[in-house]
Amino acid sequence: MIALARAELLKLRSTRTALGLFLAILLVTLGPLILLLALLSRSDLAGGGLGVVAYLLVPMVLLVFGILGMTNEYRHRTITYAYLVTPRRWQVMAVKLAVYALVGIATMLFTVVLVYVVTRIGASLRGVEIDATDGATLGDYTRQIVVAGLITAFGVALGALFRAQVLTVAGTLLWALVVEILIGAFKPAVGGWLPFTVFNQVSAVSMGADPGTAGATLSRPQAFIVSLVYIAIVSVAAIFISLRRDVT
Amino acid sequence: MPVIKAEHLTKRFGKKVLAVDDVSFAIEPGTISGVLGPNGAGKTTTLRMILDLVRPTAGSVTILGSRYRDMRAPAARVGALLDASGFHPGRSGRNALRVIAVGAGISDARVDETLALVELEGAARRAVKGYSTGMKQRLALAAALLGDPEVLILDEPANGLDPEGMLWLRTFLRKLAREGRTVLVSSHVLAEVEQTVDDILIMSEGKLLAQGSMRELMASRQPVVRVRSPQAEMLEAALRAAGAAVNRTNDALAVRGPSAAEVGDVAHAQGIALHELLTEEPSLEELFLQIAGTRREQ
Repeated sequence: MIALARAELLKLRSTRTALGLFLAILLVTLGPLILLLALLSRSDLAGGGLGVVAYLLVPMVLLVFGILGMTNEYRHRTITYAYLVTPRRWQVMAVKLAVYALVGIATMLFTVVLVYVVTRIGASLRGVEIDATDGATLGDYTRQIVVAGLITAFGVALGALFRAQVLTVAGTLLWALVVEILIGAFKPAVGGWLPFTVFNQVSAVSMGADPGTAGATLSRPQAFIVSLVYIAIVSVAAIFISLRRDVT
Repeated sequence: MPVIKAEHLTKRFGKKVLAVDDVSFAIEPGTISGVLGPNGAGKTTTLRMILDLVRPTAGSVTILGSRYRDMRAPAARVGALLDASGFHPGRSGRNALRVIAVGAGISDARVDETLALVELEGAARRAVKGYSTGMKQRLALAAALLGDPEVLILDEPANGLDPEGMLWLRTFLRKLAREGRTVLVSSHVLAEVEQTVDDILIMSEGKLLAQGSMRELMASRQPVVRVRSPQAEMLEAALRAAGAAVNRTNDALAVRGPSAAEVGDVAHAQGIALHELLTEEPSLEELFLQIAGTRREQ
């Protein structure tokens, strides 16, 4: 299993995937953050909330990263070698899920530090004293980082289930960014249980405040448990289908 | 004990496609065996079932005494070339092998050794997308050899190789066999493996039509008498009347059944002039057509 994990990490290092992830993270975090730091008035800046904007798209980037990590194996047919080296396919899938979860966690950890440092520097350049943590506690950051790992693994599992790269990425983003929002708007009782709404609730959107108190369907601990259930179901389904699928 | 043993191997894709139909065979150690047949014969599916990449609908197959999926560290015992395009195009050839090697617990030194073995060390650090088809085939062969395995399963290894590459491959396969390895190689170009294999399995439409040593099967073939005559049509009629099987193309006849002397006698008796008369041993391709034709008639 350790050898498999090392192989997974080498796969990431030996293509431009890791560099792509790094650049995408810089773009979606620093882009809006620097714009806000430069353009907001000093009084608006002092109001805080910059982190919420900076973190907004990070889970989507990680989700797509996870999907690409798995669907690339089918697209480039490298899955054949993976299964030849390790015919116990569940091990291949389990290690991939775990490695991508860890990469998601590390990426979010890096992002949190990056956003904190850039916010502090940017605010001081504007001569504004702000709380760069937006009042988030260590627990808030921990949840955010854990969800980043979960959502990356969720992407891997979706990739294993659907295989077709473009369709999986497009379909997942459409679901997360359009369908869930529409369902949430028209049927909030249902929308509150949907996967990406649940992930959001646990992590990024309202750091420092329990969304459960803001009229959400689920409290943050409940949402966390539901998100774990989603991950477990999709991961088990991905492993199960990988065991049965012919590699032609 | 056979290295590979397949019993009643059957694979159905969906309800309509019967890719492999009740195939049983045994591959003996230290031999080069060829699975031969046209495209769509079921060769690739059979090889993939041996390696547990495709699950049989019925039947079973063992390799080195166990199912592939039950083998511990299979890369050290079985090497496979299945798909020369099975590498990430953005990865260098060396890293493509390292990904496989690291997962299998094989050292980087062995990666470099196999790259040298297939004469790719000069291109090792180039991205695979810049490789020619022949170079990708060599890289795939290097991947198969990484674990220094005792059994090699190669699916159409000569695909995309130029004549020089094919000669290199033949020599290479012979070298592997001399080292005592068992090689199972599939091909749809029968002439390509004719000079390489010891045993052959002939497949067509998912069925195993024949299996045996190359020598036995070639000994069982019917020689063909080639005749050219300005009165080919008359000669064809005369030979058919004498019970021969005849194929005519313009003034040339391919005759099965009678010997060259008997064909000459028939022509002489009819006063037919001959411009050419010779006996030809059929190629593996013709042997395949004979076997496939016989099966269809049955």
